[in-house]
Amino acid sequence: MAEEEVEIEISPQGKVIVRTNGIKGSRCLDVAELFARIIGTEESRQLTSEYYEQDTEARRHQRVANRYTGGDG
Amino acid sequence: MSSVIVLAPLIVGGWPVISAAVTAAIGTMGFSVATAAAAQRRESSVNRAEIEVENSEILASQGGLEQSIVVERGGIRATFSRDARGALKVCMEGESVSKAELQRVGEELLGAVTQQYAYHRIVSELKNRNMVVVDEEVLADRSVKIRVRNF
Repeated sequence: MAEEEVEIEISPQGKVIVRTNGIKGSRCLDVAELFARIIGTEESRQLTSEYYEQDTEARRHQRVANRYTGGDG
Repeated sequence: MSSVIVLAPLIVGGWPVISAAVTAAIGTMGFSVATAAAAQRRESSVNRAEIEVENSEILASQGGLEQSIVVERGGIRATFSRDARGALKVCMEGESVSKAELQRVGEELLGAVTQQYAYHRIVSELKNRNMVVVDEEVLADRSVKIRVRNF
């Protein structure tokens, strides 16, 4: 499993780019937003595949749970 | 990779914080703090350019109303101070230097000041939150890269 890490790059113009690595699900946004609160205003945001991974996993667990309880899904 | 967020720093602080960022930044660009005599020298036949940092606020409660820092490099003089609205501004002056060149150097200086402010703000917050900086490097384009764990 990839180690969770945040990479912060500060350009010579003062722009700050925060990349979260190995953090799955919406927690990666919590971490990125922490830095937004520390440093300033958000200019842009890009979500990549790992953001959606935990949600997919959670949905699969939900489907299994529904199968046993007779719920939809 | 999970997310990429681009942030524009908001410079907020008392004069000591701002002047520390200015002092750290000017070294990276070959400027040095002017002597008292040079700082007070006023010449009439120089070009001038004034640039304000929109996303900035120098807190009056922590000094800075009458404060300024004057720095120099090869015929260019830059005076950092607080403007009437409380923002950080730099006044660039130079003899035989075009206004466009003064504007360019001034913007580069303010970029370096913003970078230093952001760096110190981030690093001190990381320490306060017991986050671990595992690596730090200055890239060829003068960007600073910090890698953090334990959050």
